[in-house]
Amino acid sequence: MQKSNNINTTTATCPACGMLCDDINVSDPSANTCAKSISFFSQPITESSPTIAGKPVSLDEAVAKAASILKDAQHPIFAGLSTDLSGFRAAFNSAQQVNAPMMHINAESTWRNTKVLQSKGWQTTTLMEVKNRADVILCIGTDVVSHNPRFFERNVWNKEALFTNPQTRNIIYLGGEGLDTSHGVSPNGKQPTVLPCATKALPEITAALRALIQGKTLNTDSITGIAVKDLETVVTQLKEASYAVLIWVAKDFSFAHAELTIENITESVVTLNKESRAMALALGGSDGDTTVNYAHTWLSALAPEEHDLKQYDTVVWINSFSPEKPLPTTDAPIIAIGNSQTQFVTPPAVFIPVATPALDCAGTLFRVDSSIVLPLKQTRESALPTLSTVMNKMDALLT
Amino acid sequence: MITLLKNAKVYDPAHGVDGVKKDIYIRNGHIIAKPSKTEKIHEAMDLSGKVVMAGAIDMHSHIGGGKVNIARMMLPEYQETLKYADPEAHVCGPQCAHNATPSTIVTGMHYIEMGYTAAFEPAVLGINARQAHLEMGDTPMIDKGGYAMLGNDDYFLRLLANKADQKAINDYVAWTLNATQTIGIKVVNPGGINAFKFNQRRLDLDENNKHYAVSPRQILKSLSRAVHDIGVAKPLHVHCNNLGVAGNFQTTLDTMGASDGIPMHLTHIQFHSYGAEGDKKFSSAAAEIAEAINNNKHITADVGQILFGQTVTASGDNMMQHLNAGFANPKKSVIMDIECDAGCGVVPFKYRDENYVNAMQWAIGLEIFLSVEDPWRVFLTTDHPNGAPFTSYPHLIRLLMDKSFRDEAFDKLNLDAQAMSNLKAIEREYSLYEIATMTRAGAAKLIGMDNQGHLGEGAAANITVYTEQSDKEAMFGKPDYVFKDGELVVKHGEVVKVVWGKTHTAKPAYDKSVEKNLKEYFEKYHTIQLDNYKISDDEMAADGRNSVINHTKAAG
Repeated sequence: MQKSNNINTTTATCPACGMLCDDINVSDPSANTCAKSISFFSQPITESSPTIAGKPVSLDEAVAKAASILKDAQHPIFAGLSTDLSGFRAAFNSAQQVNAPMMHINAESTWRNTKVLQSKGWQTTTLMEVKNRADVILCIGTDVVSHNPRFFERNVWNKEALFTNPQTRNIIYLGGEGLDTSHGVSPNGKQPTVLPCATKALPEITAALRALIQGKTLNTDSITGIAVKDLETVVTQLKEASYAVLIWVAKDFSFAHAELTIENITESVVTLNKESRAMALALGGSDGDTTVNYAHTWLSALAPEEHDLKQYDTVVWINSFSPEKPLPTTDAPIIAIGNSQTQFVTPPAVFIPVATPALDCAGTLFRVDSSIVLPLKQTRESALPTLSTVMNKMDALLT
Repeated sequence: MITLLKNAKVYDPAHGVDGVKKDIYIRNGHIIAKPSKTEKIHEAMDLSGKVVMAGAIDMHSHIGGGKVNIARMMLPEYQETLKYADPEAHVCGPQCAHNATPSTIVTGMHYIEMGYTAAFEPAVLGINARQAHLEMGDTPMIDKGGYAMLGNDDYFLRLLANKADQKAINDYVAWTLNATQTIGIKVVNPGGINAFKFNQRRLDLDENNKHYAVSPRQILKSLSRAVHDIGVAKPLHVHCNNLGVAGNFQTTLDTMGASDGIPMHLTHIQFHSYGAEGDKKFSSAAAEIAEAINNNKHITADVGQILFGQTVTASGDNMMQHLNAGFANPKKSVIMDIECDAGCGVVPFKYRDENYVNAMQWAIGLEIFLSVEDPWRVFLTTDHPNGAPFTSYPHLIRLLMDKSFRDEAFDKLNLDAQAMSNLKAIEREYSLYEIATMTRAGAAKLIGMDNQGHLGEGAAANITVYTEQSDKEAMFGKPDYVFKDGELVVKHGEVVKVVWGKTHTAKPAYDKSVEKNLKEYFEKYHTIQLDNYKISDDEMAADGRNSVINHTKAAG
């Protein structure tokens, strides 16, 4: 389901992060405030031919080679999956043909969240509720802006809101390393509360937060360098909020059993909601990860899981959005299908450049907070085939 | 090309045909009048001894959109991996888990294998409409449609609180139907989902939403009037306040009076027919509810029957789902506030016949089915997946058609529940004609689709052929043949051809200036642009499979 192409468009939706800002000026990308977006929409068109072992070939030759490798494979996997909805659906069909599981490039981080959903569930909100209701925003282990640069600009320091005064929002950062907390300063200079602790201390500090919210007493004055009385102040603010939002970014939780830390956050929200209103919100997102999670789930009835690529003898690597991200490390042959700008240290068995949604073709993506699905527009002329075209060609050779 | 189905025993309530032997002619996907002798019949099937009905229509089934997908994601333990490739080879047999939330592919397959040719998603959040249509677009075999949720969105509540005139409301409602590609309007816990965001935990019919100072009654009155004024056939689809609460039948009775006689459809009414009598303070008010439906001709209802087993409840009513989350089985649930539009709550549930409340719920649903006199005004649903998966419809039909089967099931119920229910005293058994009314003709009439749900000239050739059997569960579980738009797609319980169906919508006219205020609201408060909210016909058809049918009658 894609909107018809409109190359003369001036405003478009940006797929560079999970927030999908749909107010991007594409006639002058440098006028945007987000470096990720500028970089995405400024990428050049690389004339790039398909290759077999690094040697240029025709599209049909490349597809035939890819199909023959897949036919010989015993345990293939479709990975990367940095694409939009229609690209994913086409890849899903091909993967089913050869009984291949599918794994997104962000599987490690998204799986941290999925594990919590499948173990306890959660209580969450979306960006428009944050923008119009949130009076206390607690960012846990993240500055958000490293992932979603315009989060505060678009959803926190907005001029008007339906139910709260944006200028007086209470912004709190709890834990995390190397954070840029400058975005938490309100336009009129109100400073955020910053309670620093190391990323590896997040399991401990979130457990303490959860305990305090549940009304338990901690027999210590300080946890991971944060004074318990400061943590108690945060708890009071959360309980007194009209609408508190507790935010994390799974990618920032690169430690073992991060799902238990996320569960501390989501279960804190469950407890808060017994008396007052609060909601959790997982942000971040990139490369169509939310889209892949959702579409894989409705097409197969199961969420996509994390796999060890080393256990597969052939990897179909799909990466339309992020040419700077490297191919996976594996001894298996790689069929790389993706952005025409992709650079290789070692050329893959097959490379097929395809159209990038939001640049070379229209598309559809889910926003990181789920529920909201936005159309992507084609914003430049391109002769590159879409991922669907390539997959359909390959399907014909696989049957 | 003309196909002839001859000697069929036809049940076609739209034309008063009750088990009459007839011939049916099909050309170009439609049913036609008997052609002249000079016209060639290309194919003829002798259906002697077979029962023929139009394809069934599920007028309320959660098959698309965020809630059900969250349920799928949350409950991997109840899914099984089914190979999607080669859906032509799919057979619904013992290997198929009739679980609550199958994939979209399996959903379409199971529906057509039961002789259903259309299903309607009753809770499309405007902001989530694109997802709902994407999922329904990936549901093969059947036609789809949706009801857009209003009445908890802040835009509408602001209009109401600011005493906007009815025309402004009408334009907004008509605009919403157009923008979201839906065919009806639903209101869920009127005002309650919104009130929950302001920390209200219950909302009665005449209680105000604290922020807006408007009551559910005002919301119902305004929305039912709007739907009526703009000429949409489908009456306002109402999920009443106080779902699941003991004693809630009074809210339901009062709700019937909230529209001043303008048609309203009360959905999954079983969940809203509870008394608070007896030792356990939970009793059946089915008699009161059925009597009120019988007396109030402007009211229609679907039942939302529960059946025993594991399922998952997925509702826009996050206020009441939050209250019920403690009953989750297994113990996990999702509650969401969504985009100043509405919310959702997904709570897995296991209904057990030895449990008093569950046994009463089962009996209450059946009592309503059997006590509402007019099968044109009551519809067969389980509120899939909330009361039970839609795949249990054949079982439910047998419960309605076979008293001894029903009594046997009753005898296994919790003993206290048996003592509190008068189900066994009800002798009624539904006839095939009444089943055809409830699941075909009545549903099509209610939704406003002239060419569906019947077998007259001009109807879409959606046709289900059964072998008459005394075991009605077996009969309705596995039709011999199903035709979708004239094509034979199911043969002896097996899908023999994959088709993708269409999307039924209503696109009433509205004053285009409504977008002026909407644009301003979007720019100030929304997180997306107005143009990105709207879904065009071209976008719906962009997958190369879907197309949109507009059922709005020309003005005047």
